[in-house]
Amino acid sequence: MKRLAAAVLLAASLLTARAAGTVRVFTRDTGGRPVADAVAYLSDPDSPAPVSPPADPVAITQKDQEFSPYVTPIVVGTKVVFPNLDNVQHHVYSVSPAKRFEIPLYIGDSKETIVFDRPGIVTLGCNIHDWMVAYVFVLSTPYYAKTGADGTAEVSGLPPGRYRLEVWHPRAGTVGRDLVVTESSDTTQVISVVLKPDHRIRRAPDAGGADYK
Amino acid sequence: MRFTRSILRALAALPLIAAARAFADGPYSSASASAAWQDNVTNATPGDGVLSAFTLESCADLTWLRDLDFSTFLTAGVASTADLCTTFSGLDSISAGPRLEIRHKIGLGPYAPLVSVGLEADAAAFSDSGRSNVDIAAVARFSQRLDEALQLVVDARVCATEANHEVYSGSYASLGATLNWDIDEIWRLSVKGAWRNGDIVAEYAAEKVPLYGWVPIDTGAYAYTGPRQLVRTFSEPFIAYRAKAPTLSWGAGVSPAIGRHTSLILEYTRCRTNAYDTYVNDLVSVGVVHHF
Repeated sequence: MKRLAAAVLLAASLLTARAAGTVRVFTRDTGGRPVADAVAYLSDPDSPAPVSPPADPVAITQKDQEFSPYVTPIVVGTKVVFPNLDNVQHHVYSVSPAKRFEIPLYIGDSKETIVFDRPGIVTLGCNIHDWMVAYVFVLSTPYYAKTGADGTAEVSGLPPGRYRLEVWHPRAGTVGRDLVVTESSDTTQVISVVLKPDHRIRRAPDAGGADYK
Repeated sequence: MRFTRSILRALAALPLIAAARAFADGPYSSASASAAWQDNVTNATPGDGVLSAFTLESCADLTWLRDLDFSTFLTAGVASTADLCTTFSGLDSISAGPRLEIRHKIGLGPYAPLVSVGLEADAAAFSDSGRSNVDIAAVARFSQRLDEALQLVVDARVCATEANHEVYSGSYASLGATLNWDIDEIWRLSVKGAWRNGDIVAEYAAEKVPLYGWVPIDTGAYAYTGPRQLVRTFSEPFIAYRAKAPTLSWGAGVSPAIGRHTSLILEYTRCRTNAYDTYVNDLVSVGVVHHF
């Protein structure tokens, strides 16, 4: 009886695995160059898939007075810590509607663990070093990935169905298209985005002395 | 002797720096090197007194930061400068001194205005020892980003200088504004203007007159009743004299970023002092500044 149950479970899992489609997303700019740090995500508005945040917190570090990674996609309910690996203090904050918080000056491990409990885009900053910026994209779908330096992201484990594919980048906003995923889907979607100028606060010094800005 | 006492007074501030080091964050450090050309280093009226000079300058500073509350910081540090004048060695100098400042950011984020008030002191030693001095300044600063690309900085300063030769001592107050425009990730344009009022020192070619000794050729110098001093800084004898007068200065600069820690800086500044006569000084400098 136990063997039968195990065989049924194995068959079911194999079927499920075979039923999962994969979508590769290649994001490029108008010049055809790959775009890194874009978040590609698929959702079915008619039947949203449930998300389960990871048990362990995600880390966004501060090193050499920069956040790393620059873009962090997570699902709703994910805990995030902000370890400061610099030898100077940072003051991490967000005033974004999706998550407002502030972690006053600290060095070393994050004093607080922040739970991102609403979907949306959260812009992070440091109140000491104005050039420091990073983004947390809080998603309500489990199907997402971030593009690497080659501009490619792979979203796998997609059950068959109709999806809305969207790609977001800090300098491009969101672009998207509808697509159908079948049991054997293994497609590459090419998304072109128009990148706006990277108008971050300038870090390079002016004629003044050592300073924080 | 007076200069020595002044240096000792400036050094007395160093324990404060050490204390700040003990409990603060940092250091933030920077170094810069520049070459500057002045068309009127003597700050003379048009005529025999106008001399130009080329100066190489290097600066370095260290700053520690301590939070007093969420948005208020105490900073303490030291700054040093070395000047090498390739034209007149008497203008070679080194200086160093402590800095103390309280900064408050009114709000959160890059667009929150930043205000600061502080004290600066410097002891400067010149090859021409009469110019060696100690100065103490109270400074205030307001900085506001108007958007991602534009930043307005307003500076106010009150400074008193005590030098070995009385003519180089004095005081002034100044108020200036700088508008920085980050055109793109690389290029920054700056325009600035400032008003200054207080003591200025002008130097003019001198001649020896029987019974009177050395006197300035510029008769306008006689309009001032302040101290005068024969100086041998230049290739010929000059008379330095002090006057109180307002100075307006304006200028522009361009500063391309070389990476995220380093910038090149090219600046032009024109200073115009209106007193009994007009003193105009044009400065052009090119340099590099690096934040570690």
